[in-house]
Amino acid sequence: MTTIEAYLAEVGARLPGPVRVRAGIVAELRSGLLDATDAYCCAGLPDEQAALAAIGEFGDPGLVADGFRTEIAARQARRVTVSLAAAGPLVGLLWIAAAFASHLGIALAPHGPSPDVSPVLRTGCYLAAVIIAAEAWAALLGIAATGRLSRWLPIRPRRAPTAAAVAGFGAAGADIVMLSLLAAVLAVAPGQLAAVPIALAAAASCARLPLATRAARRCLASRAALT
Amino acid sequence: MRAEALKGHLDGMLLAVLEVGPRHGYAIMEALRAGSSGQFDLPTGTVYPALHRLERAGLVQASWSSDSGRRRRSYQLTPAGRRALDTERSTWRDFSAAVTALLQPTPPAVSPS
Repeated sequence: MTTIEAYLAEVGARLPGPVRVRAGIVAELRSGLLDATDAYCCAGLPDEQAALAAIGEFGDPGLVADGFRTEIAARQARRVTVSLAAAGPLVGLLWIAAAFASHLGIALAPHGPSPDVSPVLRTGCYLAAVIIAAEAWAALLGIAATGRLSRWLPIRPRRAPTAAAVAGFGAAGADIVMLSLLAAVLAVAPGQLAAVPIALAAAASCARLPLATRAARRCLASRAALT
Repeated sequence: MRAEALKGHLDGMLLAVLEVGPRHGYAIMEALRAGSSGQFDLPTGTVYPALHRLERAGLVQASWSSDSGRRRRSYQLTPAGRRALDTERSTWRDFSAAVTALLQPTPPAVSPS
C-alpha cells in the first residue's frame, strides 16, 4: 500500500455513514493528494518525499475526519428529515381517508355524535396527533438546521441529528399507535372498517415504521460520533 | 496565520476564490494560499469539509469531472453563493473599518497650558 493509500485508509476508517458517502469523500481526498504530490514533484522532490509532503499539507487524519463527521451527520439528518416531511402528510392523509371511509371521522371529533366509539380509540388518535405534531416540529427543525438557513441559525452540530432522530422515532411511534388502534378496532368491530383504504394506510405505516426506526438509530449513531 | 484566526471568514474566502470560475479542492487551496501571499496556510484536508458545508447550504454546486485520467470534484458558485459573497464582502468592509478605526494609534492629547 502506498503512503497516500495508507493515509486515505486511516481517514476512511474514522468516517461514519454509508459506504457510498465515505467512498466519495476518500476519492475526492485522493485526487487532491495526488494533485499536491504532483506539485511537490514539479518543485523537485522525489516521489515518496512528495507524497509525504502532500500528506503533511493535508493534516492529521483525525482532524480531517472530524471535519467530515459533522458534515456527514448533517447530511444524514437532512436526508432523514426531508424524507419524513415528504412521507408524513401522505401517510397521514391515507389514515384520514381510511377513517372517513370507515365512518370514523365524525365519530372521532371531540364532541362527536357517536357515543359508541371507544374512549380508547379516541385517546389513541389524540396521542397519535400529539406524536405527529412533535415529529413535524423536529423534522422542520432538522431541515432548517441543515439547509440554507443553517448559516443564520445558531444551532449546534449535534442538534440536527438529534432532531432527525426525534422525528424518526416520532414517525415510528405514530405508526405503532395507529396500527395498534387498527388492531383494536379489528378485534371488536371488523365489519365497520373500509377494507381497501384501511389496507393502504396500514401498508404505508408498516413500510414506514422500520425505515423510520432505522434512520433514527443511524442519526443517533452519527450524533454519538461527533466530538 | 493560525486556523482559529480564520474562523468565521473561511466561507467568504472560499466563495471569493470560486468567483472567477469552477475549481477543484486542491486548486481552491492553492488559490487561497496564493491570494493571501502564503498567510492562509490551513491544513488542506480541513478545506474539503468546508466546501461540502457550502454545498449543503446551496452556495456552491459540486460535480465530478475527469481530466487526464484523474477524477476531480469541482465546485462552482450558485446564484445564492454570489449573493452570499456580496453579503460577506459588505459585512467584512464594515467590520474591518470599525477594527481599523479602533486599532489606529491615538494621537496624544494636547494639554492646554
